[in-house]
Amino acid sequence: MFELSPEGKELVKKELARYEDKYSAIIPSLYQIQKENEGWVSPEAVDHLSELTGIPHSHINEVLKFYTMFNLKPTGKYHIQVCCNITCSMFQARELTDDLCQKLGIKEGEVSEDGRFTVSRVECLGSCDNAPAVQVNETYHDNMTPEKMDTLISELK
Amino acid sequence: MEAKLLSEHYSDDSYIGLEGYKSKGGYAELKTAFKMKPEEIIEVVKQSGLRGRGGAGFPTGVKWGFLPKNGEPRYLLCNADEGEPGTFKDRVMMERAPHQLIEGMIISGFAVGSHKAYIYVRGEYMDSVRILEKAIQEAYAAGYLGKNILGSGFDFDLDVYRGAGAYICGEETGMISSLEGKKGQPKLKPPFPAIQGYLKKPTIVNNVETLAAVKYIIRDGAEGYRKYGTEKSAGTKLFSVSGDVNKPGVYEVPLGYSLMDLINNECGGMREGRKLKAVIPGGSSAPVLTAEETGRATMDYECLAEMGSMLGSGAVIIIDETRCMVDMLKVILHFYHHESCGQCTPCREGTGWLEKIVRSIVDGNGRLQDIDLLNRVAENMKGRTICALSDAAALPTMSFIQKFREEFEFFIREGRSQVKG
Amino acid sequence: MPKCTVNGIEVEVKDGATVIEAFMKTNESIAHYCWHPGLSVAGVCRMCMVEIEGNPRLQIACNTPVQDGMVVYNNSEKVKEAVEWTLKFHLINHPLDCPICDQAGECGLQEYYMSHGSYDSEMAERKVKKHKVVDLGEKVVLDTERCILCSRCVRFTDEVTKTNELGIFNRGDRSEIGTFENRPLNNKYSLNTVDICPVGALTSKDFRFRQRVWFLKSFETICQGCSAGCNVQAYYNENGFYRVKPVPNEEVNGHWMCDEGRDVYKFANKEHRLVSGIKKEDSGLSHMAPGAAAVQLREDLSDTKKAALVLTGQYTTEEYLKFVDSFTKNYGNEVYHWINNPKTFDDFDGILLRGDKNPNTVGLLRVLEGKGIKSSWADLEEKLNSGQIEHLVVAGPENLAVFPDLEEKVTLFGQAQKLTVLTPVKSKFYESADYQIPMKSFMEKDGTFVNHKGIEQKLGRGPIVVSQALTLLDLSMILDGSDFISVNSASMGGSL
Repeated sequence: MFELSPEGKELVKKELARYEDKYSAIIPSLYQIQKENEGWVSPEAVDHLSELTGIPHSHINEVLKFYTMFNLKPTGKYHIQVCCNITCSMFQARELTDDLCQKLGIKEGEVSEDGRFTVSRVECLGSCDNAPAVQVNETYHDNMTPEKMDTLISELK
Repeated sequence: MEAKLLSEHYSDDSYIGLEGYKSKGGYAELKTAFKMKPEEIIEVVKQSGLRGRGGAGFPTGVKWGFLPKNGEPRYLLCNADEGEPGTFKDRVMMERAPHQLIEGMIISGFAVGSHKAYIYVRGEYMDSVRILEKAIQEAYAAGYLGKNILGSGFDFDLDVYRGAGAYICGEETGMISSLEGKKGQPKLKPPFPAIQGYLKKPTIVNNVETLAAVKYIIRDGAEGYRKYGTEKSAGTKLFSVSGDVNKPGVYEVPLGYSLMDLINNECGGMREGRKLKAVIPGGSSAPVLTAEETGRATMDYECLAEMGSMLGSGAVIIIDETRCMVDMLKVILHFYHHESCGQCTPCREGTGWLEKIVRSIVDGNGRLQDIDLLNRVAENMKGRTICALSDAAALPTMSFIQKFREEFEFFIREGRSQVKG
Repeated sequence: MPKCTVNGIEVEVKDGATVIEAFMKTNESIAHYCWHPGLSVAGVCRMCMVEIEGNPRLQIACNTPVQDGMVVYNNSEKVKEAVEWTLKFHLINHPLDCPICDQAGECGLQEYYMSHGSYDSEMAERKVKKHKVVDLGEKVVLDTERCILCSRCVRFTDEVTKTNELGIFNRGDRSEIGTFENRPLNNKYSLNTVDICPVGALTSKDFRFRQRVWFLKSFETICQGCSAGCNVQAYYNENGFYRVKPVPNEEVNGHWMCDEGRDVYKFANKEHRLVSGIKKEDSGLSHMAPGAAAVQLREDLSDTKKAALVLTGQYTTEEYLKFVDSFTKNYGNEVYHWINNPKTFDDFDGILLRGDKNPNTVGLLRVLEGKGIKSSWADLEEKLNSGQIEHLVVAGPENLAVFPDLEEKVTLFGQAQKLTVLTPVKSKFYESADYQIPMKSFMEKDGTFVNHKGIEQKLGRGPIVVSQALTLLDLSMILDGSDFISVNSASMGGSL
């Protein structure tokens, strides 16, 4: 059974009052759940949030499954998100992703054996002048190359 | 020639903080605005010719004029869900000059009579969210936000809302749905947001750049602002340039600026001296221009519309001769297929169909009739849905085929790309 | 009241009406899936495209308000082509499994394919795979591949029942209707989602695979399940009744009915019915024609000094009028009203369901009042307990499921020296009765039910299931002396 930490619950309470309508608290609360739940939102967590907020399960589930930044299964400690949209794909983003997956021995969306990494292709990150752009958790990395990726991975413990 | 109006101080780190911003004339226009009547501000904005910088290019003052004239509570929303592939100027604006946006929003809020505003920032832009939240705190502490701002009697509250990964939330009613805590699905129009928007209250949604520009319209007046740009495309615009140029980045130039000059002057010309093949001038949903068209294009609403394309969000993607247009279309269509919200049938089903057809061509399984089929599917997705995402998939499809048909035919015949051997 | 022209036909609509409502008023056909008069406008199926004079872009009729003088049509080539393409988009990922689909014969996709189909599939790519045979709850099954995502069912649970079980999860062509795990679609109105589903995505567990719809006939009548008096369409064939669906009536049930009401057709079917008159004799139970049993009852009653009548609110007003008249004239004024569930009798769930599980309590009370009959149940109990009642005649319920007190009451009734039960259905509790006389069910007779609001509604007569079963009208004639029973089998459905 998943349960938010006291701070997490406090945040949900605050977000419920922060906007004009309590439903606006769903997205910030799901972010908090994801942070406390190994990078993903489980069905139990949806149950929990529904109970905390009084918002119907199906509604929370609709929101959860609509937005791509919420993960529906566990992710590694570092979620490496490679933009493969138009400009980044011009600069070998797709090859970079394939290369990275091969090095880590995982397919997209999987967690590496040591639990450190998940690799995903994502859509435009809004960093097209630095293509290819990669986001690791909340941090952007610009002009990535296979070599820079190797260094980055070795630095992420 | 760059014309640095909004971006004058973007390279100055101190401009991010309140003190640095004030030292460069920050919040001066707010004081000016408070000396004006709200309807005067709306009139100046109308006269300035400012058009929405998010993509649709709708005249901002006219949009504001759609609000009911009674005192009904209304919301001002800033659309910072920058997601159109190729676009990154809003991120630069929020991270380099958060107070500029805040000041623009207070003035705009005052003009339209709104006391509550939100900046909807796309979820990936965590840095922007942090910087904006800090700037908002500073502004509250300094009395620029909150009750009775600068003794004007005007109350204005501002907060940030962080999205969570959905391109469609850049569509203004999709954004409203998202802010309401729902899936970011666009709403039926009518009613338009100015009548019934956020929580069914009158709502104005403007792009980051649009709201920031209001400050400069107050500073320079309508005529001063109109010194830049053309008759129908007044002022300056921030362009996000990416792709095969030497210096990709955000550049502010007057509207009407030559596209070739933008490539050659601001962006340092083509990478590795390669030949220009095509340009997507307004984000990935804008119809592509050939090199020849690029040579004639000026960056304003009317010229690009005449060429059958659009200025859009000002995302300029430069494509050189080594790029395979079939593959690029596949990437574009994958995006729209991935991002279709799924409400309207032609878009939900059509985006996937288009992607599958192009994918099968790239996989070597194309049929010659697929080219015609792509065109017909796209044609029947256009203008048939609640929002423009369907068109955003259809338009590039039709323009890529129209302008680079032989590359598609080659791929189908030979099972390989014409440019990649 | 704006006027507009729809395919050349001028029509006046109420203020705020939309173009699709104008089409409905003219009876001009307009394809639509997501629009439903009982739900909010979704505008997502994009089928109801129309051309409006002066507007170069096609518009959807469901979200376009009629403006005075508007000229609208949907029979132009432009509209036809658009609708054909929209239908094509609906079908490219549809499994086209009509041969095994329960909706076949009443499917919106099939219907519009006849008029708007392209008859030439151009989809050469693999279809999107989705979930099939999803168990949504006690009564409803979902096939998400057949679903066209019109969102009617979701709007129903959001707007009508406000139970919010359903949602559309994921986006784009991966979107699927569903419930959240362990939160099934078990509200009391869940089967309405099946009715409003325009395709074979939602099907009823009770009805699916039991009968092809084109083998069914139907007629309109009034639901017997409670005092709401929902208007329904009953479906049957030579093997019996198969289902009921709501018929819109703004004053009574809007567009809906409850799930309980869906089951009331069952007791009208033969397997539940009492088919012959039964008389208890020393030698055992003797079976005879219903009319013959009634004649024997009359003779039996003629010697009786203390007879009493118990009525349930399950018969028609016409029956009460005649039967109470005949009974009181022949045997005196001892007439009582059996209230089956006094504690919940006045309940209301805010939508349709009434605690009074009888279709015609108001009709019965009006008749009793008209005849000046005032009686209390306590009186009856006392008289029964003290052996003052010689022969008790009970016009029993059709729907035994809503008479939780049946056994207890029959035991009470058994204290009369003789007990006669008039009943459409069999029950083991009646086996001790001296007479059991088969009655017609509400599906088989004419007459009026008066609902809780006092609205009088006519039953529509369907086929006869038990050919010799009586109505209270028939029985009145016998009690009044007639030996000749004309059993009317010339009903619209004939005899099963």
